Amino acid sequence: MRGGMNPIITKALEEGRYKLLEHESFELLRQYNIPVPDFALVQDVNEALKVVKDIGYPVVLKVVSPDIIHKSDVGGVILNISNDDDLRSACERIRNNIKEKAPPYARISGFLVQRMVPEGLETIIGATKDPIFGHVIAFGLGGVMVEVLQDVSFRIVPITEEDARAMVREIKGYRLFNGYRNMPVRDEEAVIYIITKFSELLSDNPNIVEADLNPVIVLERGKGAYAADARFIIGSV
Amino acid sequence: MEEQKQQPQEIKAVSEVSLVITSPLDLLFNPRSVAIIGATPRENSVGGVITKNLLTKFKGKVYLINPKYDEVNGIKYYKSILDIQDSIDLAVIVVPAPAVPKVADECARKGVKVTIIISGGFSEVGEEGAKLEEELRRVVQNRIRVLGPNCIGVYNAFNGLDTFFLPEDRMGRPKPGPPVALISQSGAVAGAILDWAARRNIGVGLAVNYGNKLDINEAELLEYFARDSRVKVIVMYMEGLKYPGGEGKKLLEVMKEVSSVKPIVVYKAGRTKAATGAVKSHTAALAGNYEIYRAMLKQANVIEADNLTDAFDMAKALATQPLPRGGNRVLVITDSGGMGIQSVDALDMRGLQVPELSESLQEILRKQLPPLAVTRNPIDLTGSATDAMYKFVLDTVLPTSYVDMALIIALMQIPGLTANLGNYIIEAKRFNKPIVVVSFGGNEYVAKFESHLEENGIPVYHAPHRAAKRCGRCMSTQK
Repeated sequence: MRGGMNPIITKALEEGRYKLLEHESFELLRQYNIPVPDFALVQDVNEALKVVKDIGYPVVLKVVSPDIIHKSDVGGVILNISNDDDLRSACERIRNNIKEKAPPYARISGFLVQRMVPEGLETIIGATKDPIFGHVIAFGLGGVMVEVLQDVSFRIVPITEEDARAMVREIKGYRLFNGYRNMPVRDEEAVIYIITKFSELLSDNPNIVEADLNPVIVLERGKGAYAADARFIIGSV
Repeated sequence: MEEQKQQPQEIKAVSEVSLVITSPLDLLFNPRSVAIIGATPRENSVGGVITKNLLTKFKGKVYLINPKYDEVNGIKYYKSILDIQDSIDLAVIVVPAPAVPKVADECARKGVKVTIIISGGFSEVGEEGAKLEEELRRVVQNRIRVLGPNCIGVYNAFNGLDTFFLPEDRMGRPKPGPPVALISQSGAVAGAILDWAARRNIGVGLAVNYGNKLDINEAELLEYFARDSRVKVIVMYMEGLKYPGGEGKKLLEVMKEVSSVKPIVVYKAGRTKAATGAVKSHTAALAGNYEIYRAMLKQANVIEADNLTDAFDMAKALATQPLPRGGNRVLVITDSGGMGIQSVDALDMRGLQVPELSESLQEILRKQLPPLAVTRNPIDLTGSATDAMYKFVLDTVLPTSYVDMALIIALMQIPGLTANLGNYIIEAKRFNKPIVVVSFGGNEYVAKFESHLEENGIPVYHAPHRAAKRCGRCMSTQK
């Protein structure tokens, strides 16, 4: 247990925000050793071109704004950028899209340059805060499996490694972890690790009222898993 | 000299008692003296049933309190608990709700450590009642422990403590053993379970209902039953927790601890959205998200039952059977091929195996069994089965390392089977592996066979899927 409120959350609350910005969410996950793709927050094209030297192509470019909820809807996300020319034009395109589609009051905190995570099995790790039980973590496969089939498992924080393993194996779609047809065996242990770390993160931060790591991309065995996107809703408890 | 010799012994005896009976929860279940506040000779009232229960059955001192009476049938009534000279271990309060805070205060002043407040009319009836409950909370806080209010209290078959205000002719009382304890959020459900258990000869030695849960909660009751050596299995009926801020986590923690000592079987009602409103008006609790409760039960290694009979089916097996020591392989013996197939289906669906026996083992079986018998497993002895064939298969296969438990199907309508089969099955307990029996039929002979087995600690089920479920659940409690 760490003492006091996490500075990232303090800052957001002080600024009257109830949602962490993209890079803040990643930063918070990093503090708990939850793998996230390499990323950097930049203000303009030149900075983007500089940081991409370390991050490496291919990258995703995303607009970061406290006023834009669904980034993709306003053309604020461009995937699979693989060279400097494309990165330049992507910056330009996002700026134009925002001008056109986002509300005029939308503040732009910057752009997130984020390394593309290779394809893998898409899973979702989510959390809510129940008035009686406190934080509850949900786990399921991405897309249709969670929403339509409700193939989700739940556990109450704090979650042990054993609980996390049971959680992963409980869902019907678990067979996909063991390799199906020509798909590889997935890195189950990496997901279990993320769930236990996520549990720790939630225990330490009672201000988190809702969170989604979606998707968490699970690569083949031995290659790990990454939270490719994260969303945290906070409240003043 | 005599006196000096005895003195140290006496001191030892006292200190032993005070070691055993110190906590208020111990006094709640095992009081030496009970005061009934609101006692009455009117037999058909709540207070009257409790008065009669305790006067006739309780193995301890009973004091009656009601200012309306001086003496009835030679039994003294006190005006107030403060008028009693002796010390009181437990006070049972059955006065109308508005009078409860005052008498609870008197109990605390008397030095009583714990009280059962039977009276209803608190938070379960709305805002006025909730205010009264808050007033009561202030009166009792840090002074006296409370079970209830709005509860039917405690049933203890061992010492005759029985505050269940349902008359004997309406609610049968179960025997003490086999050692199952019941914790029920609903009073009426607790009463119905005891009646049902008494009729079926299922032992429930201890039962408790905590009503509005002003103070003593499920977690504490679980902790008590975990300590009580008379209890082997705990069955819990719950609708929902009610206090925000840690109550859920605490219960999870305690369940985890207790389930490592004794099996806990929980039936959680209020699973659907439709039922949440009903739960709220019942015990002022939120049913909450059923998924979260399920998560809690899984995390705590608690067995979840689908309904109350299911809960007791499992409790029965857990109370009487040894846990399988690391294995899921079932020996199935049957005199009906059809029932054998149904059992294999049901076992397989629960992740249990019915392994084919080794050729050498089958060879041994074939030498003794009639040519039509199937020896792979399930062992189908067919309609020409006899008691001796069952015994032979049990004694030959169950002790081997190929199987972890046995599911025996005995359709007693076959002429070759007699009461002796029961004895053979009971003798097979010596192999220290779980055994469940499927029996089906309606005649007296079948009924006798079944009760003979049950009395000797072999659970009997009337359908293969129920027996299979028990095999599976029993297995899942081992860790």
